[in-house]
Amino acid sequence: MSQAGEKRSWWPWSGGEIAPLASLLVLIVFFAVATGGDFLKMATVMQILRQGSAWAIVAVGLTFVLLCGEIDLSVGMMALWGASFCGWLFTRLTEDTVIAAGATPADGEAGLLIVAVCLLLPLLSCLVLGLITGGLTIWAALPSFIISLAMMNVADGLSSYVTQSAALDVPEILEVVGNRGVAITETRGLPYSAILAAVFFLCGHVVLRHTRFGRYVYMTGGNREAARLAGVRTGLVIIVCLAISAFAAGVAGLIEAGRLEKVTQDQNADLLLSAVACVVLGGTSLFGGIGGMGRTAIGVLTFCVLHVGLNQIQWIPDLLRPFVMGAVLMAALVVNGVFGRQR
Amino acid sequence: MSTVATAPLLSGRQIGKRFGGEVALADVDFELLPGEVHGLVGSNGAGKSTLMKILAGALPDHEGTLAIDGREVRLSSPQAALAHGIAMVYQELSGIGCLTVAENLFLGRQPVARAGRVDWRAMRSKAKAYLAELGLEIDVNRQLDRCPLVVRQMVEIARGLHSGARILILDEPTSALSPPEARRLFELVRQLKERGVAVVFITHFIEDILEICDRVTILKDGRRLETRPAAELDKRYIVHRMLGHEMAVEEVGYEASVTLPPPSRETPRLVARELSSAGAFQEIDLEVSPGECLGLYGFVGAGHQELAEALAGARSLDAGGIEVDGSPLPADRPRTAIHRGVLFVAGDRGRALHLGAEIYKNVTLAHLAKAVGPLLTRKAEERLVRPLLEQVGCRPPQPRLATGNLSGGNQQKVVVARWLLGPIRVLVLEEPTRGMDVGAKEDIMRLVAKLKSEGAAIILASIEPELLLAHSDRILVMRRGRVTHAFSDTELDKATLVRYA
Repeated sequence: MSQAGEKRSWWPWSGGEIAPLASLLVLIVFFAVATGGDFLKMATVMQILRQGSAWAIVAVGLTFVLLCGEIDLSVGMMALWGASFCGWLFTRLTEDTVIAAGATPADGEAGLLIVAVCLLLPLLSCLVLGLITGGLTIWAALPSFIISLAMMNVADGLSSYVTQSAALDVPEILEVVGNRGVAITETRGLPYSAILAAVFFLCGHVVLRHTRFGRYVYMTGGNREAARLAGVRTGLVIIVCLAISAFAAGVAGLIEAGRLEKVTQDQNADLLLSAVACVVLGGTSLFGGIGGMGRTAIGVLTFCVLHVGLNQIQWIPDLLRPFVMGAVLMAALVVNGVFGRQR
Repeated sequence: MSTVATAPLLSGRQIGKRFGGEVALADVDFELLPGEVHGLVGSNGAGKSTLMKILAGALPDHEGTLAIDGREVRLSSPQAALAHGIAMVYQELSGIGCLTVAENLFLGRQPVARAGRVDWRAMRSKAKAYLAELGLEIDVNRQLDRCPLVVRQMVEIARGLHSGARILILDEPTSALSPPEARRLFELVRQLKERGVAVVFITHFIEDILEICDRVTILKDGRRLETRPAAELDKRYIVHRMLGHEMAVEEVGYEASVTLPPPSRETPRLVARELSSAGAFQEIDLEVSPGECLGLYGFVGAGHQELAEALAGARSLDAGGIEVDGSPLPADRPRTAIHRGVLFVAGDRGRALHLGAEIYKNVTLAHLAKAVGPLLTRKAEERLVRPLLEQVGCRPPQPRLATGNLSGGNQQKVVVARWLLGPIRVLVLEEPTRGMDVGAKEDIMRLVAKLKSEGAAIILASIEPELLLAHSDRILVMRRGRVTHAFSDTELDKATLVRYA
């Protein structure tokens, strides 16, 4: 057995950890060849970073939930609710200032306080809704699948009501975060949203690997009864994970609304499935206990590469793209899953 | 007739298996005669379970050859093994608890009437007939998990037999059974033997081997030491061969008696008053003092196992209260209990450990804050855990190995190592040595004895009289959730103990 132990130390990766990275590289090479090199241009990288940020942030939150063996189906609608609430607050508050001041403020001149309220209240509300999902899951001893499904409808309904299905403006700061970035060269910059996503990944990684809470998440997902008997408050762990996921979804919703410069009711419709696909593509188990932020990062990149790459291949008819996307995604999941089983 | 009797039903030549670089089994020759009960003994890690899995088709990529009725076969899956007449009854019962006995018996091959409809009537009457053949008269409409363990086991056996098995592999069949239940199982095995069925009997209970087996194969370190008729062997010799040394502590035999000491005069550390939990136990009063070991004995389902869990603050109560060091211990709050040094070692290691995680994560889990601090790093944890693993004698003492790669005995040592990181006031053990070989049992109980001598109060719940007699200072016997007798300051032998249960 000592041999096995030593072997692990110089070759720390198993098939399950290598496969997602390998399929990411294969996809990049494939798209580079299929687009005649266009895919490797800087523009593509920028597009991937900007589009992928929302998925990445939701995927970070969802990784926590999947690691402790639960699921959160409400992330897409939670993102929409966060953005809608923000849009509604912003519209209301700026209207009021207009009336009070008796002047017409130019776009972007809304007071700092108003902007802060418009960003923080929606995030806080998402956090509270996440705590409710978690609390009900534990209190009623029901699967989070069911409770978060109901929460999905709650969040969707709230969004429709406050926006009255209208497109609403959001604070300009969100548009900046969603579309601009730190200048690196004259024409290109690193998108703020990508930086934010990176911060999420980093925090998530540190929390999972180096804090007690992170360890509790893994052990709760790996063997809930064993964790309970070792004194872990597994219910609390699950509640916090679901709150983290809802909060992350809220952030993603705000950024997405900023990128599109408005909040509309058709946003974030496929965010849930995209985020789940990202996490699972990276090799995090749907049944808890196995996975991590590094894997989710690879999963997000794979998904983005797939998404952006397919759009660049000219000879695929537009109406066939969703099918091709689905088929390639399925293939990637199967490949990662099959190799992941070889330990 | 004699040629038929001597031609082996199953024979394996030079069977071997490696896991990674590790040799689990090497060059083992194995022969099974028709109508023979063949015992397989060895310590944990001797290769018993590997050999058994190969025979059951669960490890198709082994070395060596297998032949059934003299024809070479390749057992590529459990289904293939069953098709060749080899059925396996696992230690963890594999029936489906929420289905009825009859449904379990016909799982996957239900009798079908016209238009693909399941023929329930035929199924029930056939199920009844099959079980009657084995001398089992029970309601086949009963849900399986409402049946006693021995019935579940017999249903498994009946299922194997009626899918055409001529070779039955029983893995630790008696470890969860009470003595009368085990008797019943032995009777069944004898009947099967008369019908020409060959049985491979794997167990740690050497008495069982000597009682029921015709021949015994002893394995050690993945090799076959010898195969001899059981009549030529005795327990002492088998243990000697299995372990390669004489036993350090004399085992309490069937006949021998022990003397329990007078009750401790110290202030009790844990006091329980009128504990009740519906369906498990009623009106239990007990106390344990520091440096004392209280044994809880009963058959499976007597309630002592649930009581142990409740005493450790890990199960909800309907009535009554527990006091530790003079102040009440809340029910069903394992976290509080651990902080106050009331610790539980569950009988089922699958309840105590995350087998997919590294050893060090399992060891530090309960005391992360105190032992490691706010920022966890693998290095710091390994440094902390490695000496603990050496202290409890875990083999190999490598913190980064996946816990599931350890044998049962070593997994239990990991559980003990976990509690060494914090205060130990009361240690509650439920079947701490189930499924372990004599050597591992001794190791575990030596650790427990050491904790006891250091002043911990020990509560030991078990269905094994030998374990309790060897290690308890007082013994409470339970039947159907109630204490029927308390033994203290007296001479006691196994027969007396079992009579009260």
